[in-house]
Amino acid sequence: MRLVIATCSVDYQGRLSAHLPMATRLLLLKADGSISIHADDRAYKPLNWMNPPCRIVEEPGRWVVTSPKGETLTITIDEVHTDVSHHLGVDPGLQKDGVEAHLQELLAADVTYLADGMVLVRREYPTDIGPVDLLCRDGEGAAVAVEIKRVGEIAGVEQLVRYIERLDLDGRLRPVRGIFAAQSVKPQARVLAESRGIACIELDYDLLRKVERAEMRLF
Amino acid sequence: MKFRCERDVLVEALGTATRAVASRGGALPVLSGVKAELIGNRLVLSGSDLDLTIQVGVEVAGQADGVAVLPARLTADIVRALEPGAVHIEVEGEEGRISSGRSQFAVRLLPADDFPRLAESAADEVTLDAAALAEALRQVVRAASHDDARPILTGVLMAAEGDGLRLVATDSYRLAVRDLPGASVLREGQAVLVPSKALGELGRVLTTGTVTLRLGERDATFVVGDTRLTTRLIEGEFPNYRQLIPSTHPNRLTVGREPLLDALRRVKLLAREATPVRITLKGEGIELTAITQDVGQAHEDLDAKYEGTEMVIAFNPEYLADGVEAVEGDEVTLETVDALKPAVVRSVESQDYLYLLMPVRVS
Repeated sequence: MRLVIATCSVDYQGRLSAHLPMATRLLLLKADGSISIHADDRAYKPLNWMNPPCRIVEEPGRWVVTSPKGETLTITIDEVHTDVSHHLGVDPGLQKDGVEAHLQELLAADVTYLADGMVLVRREYPTDIGPVDLLCRDGEGAAVAVEIKRVGEIAGVEQLVRYIERLDLDGRLRPVRGIFAAQSVKPQARVLAESRGIACIELDYDLLRKVERAEMRLF
Repeated sequence: MKFRCERDVLVEALGTATRAVASRGGALPVLSGVKAELIGNRLVLSGSDLDLTIQVGVEVAGQADGVAVLPARLTADIVRALEPGAVHIEVEGEEGRISSGRSQFAVRLLPADDFPRLAESAADEVTLDAAALAEALRQVVRAASHDDARPILTGVLMAAEGDGLRLVATDSYRLAVRDLPGASVLREGQAVLVPSKALGELGRVLTTGTVTLRLGERDATFVVGDTRLTTRLIEGEFPNYRQLIPSTHPNRLTVGREPLLDALRRVKLLAREATPVRITLKGEGIELTAITQDVGQAHEDLDAKYEGTEMVIAFNPEYLADGVEAVEGDEVTLETVDALKPAVVRSVESQDYLYLLMPVRVS
């Protein structure tokens, strides 16, 4: 993520023409290849932007951004006040409520829910690309990385695959197998997980919370 | 593209096609639009959210062929707001111009090349009676789940059953099963899971006549008159619902459908905050009760015929009313095993429909 605060003007040529007169603005360049130009208002909404894939050519005092359709965004820079870049890594995604964290807490308290004989090594076990939710040892002492989601989607499986790759580099843990645990696992995520040798487990939040439902289910 | 069309015809066609339009454009902004394709006097409007696509064909007075994607909601709102009469639509450059009488609008178009192309299904087509399918969908779709966290349960199972078709839906609290004898749509043993949202939309356009169905590997296409609805099928295994249906029911209540629905509507006014309605089953009739702490209580007696052990059984009133409302005929039966096992709602007149409902535990 690159953040540039600059005094600049912006000209868009494409389906219509638009001009932003010279002013101080934030230019946001994301790792996905997008660029957006923000003023100090309008909340998250940019004044102008270009979605990836686009090509950015930086010249002294002038950036030209071109989309595959030939649209151009010309940013004329009078003065750069700040220009910083940060590597943010893979985003864990929006957590709509506290259920995911609570599921982790509940599972950590009783990992035998995942399999008989399972014992917890550590919650938030660190790897060099971020912590895996739970690291456990199964009944035979083998390391098991557990990734917990509210809704299990492909991105979660891929995240777990990356953690396992990192954990497998540690001779004390290798070989590490994975469990993808979620309240529900999307069919595509299940297919991907199974193809990578990762087990999927659907979690019953109420059962973990030991909540007895008045409204009973058929199954 | 340029054409003229009566406002009411266009309103109806836009209303149907835009029901499939994505509520948010998401990754594909063009999906917030409705595609209009004019060839001669035939205008085809298409809306899609990638999972569901609805195409509606209408006859118009065509003046220039062409394709354009108009912003769906805005266009529908504009056309609906116009005075009755002829509406003129013309595409010029990046703009779509909508005019009628002294009203003129110009809207920015979306890129037509970005609109997804719908592959034609090569599957064999079969024909179903539209009215029978509409009734079956009305009875079954209501039991499907709306929870995307359990995608399998958001679908309706369409399965071959004997010489006919069986529709099944469940949200895990209730289960609806409807047989359409003689509707041989699927091969023996074949079953597909169709999103209930798509079938709900299909139910809206079904009237009389026939509906043509094409089942592909991953999608299903229904054609009703000038409307074509294509939906992605849900992948996965539907729960084994047969084992949920009790084989015997020692207790059987027979009650008027409308009186029960009316009583439920009244009593559930006091069934707030997920409070169930309790039904006291006894020989001379039934009593419905709802009690909400700190609010109040409601009681209503109802004439009914009951054979079995006296008991109190409680249900979610919405789910119970859904099941009773779905059955055909003047009388319904409620068959129970005990207060904690699933109850079955059926029509006295027909065995083609079954609604299984889990009771609510009460102290």
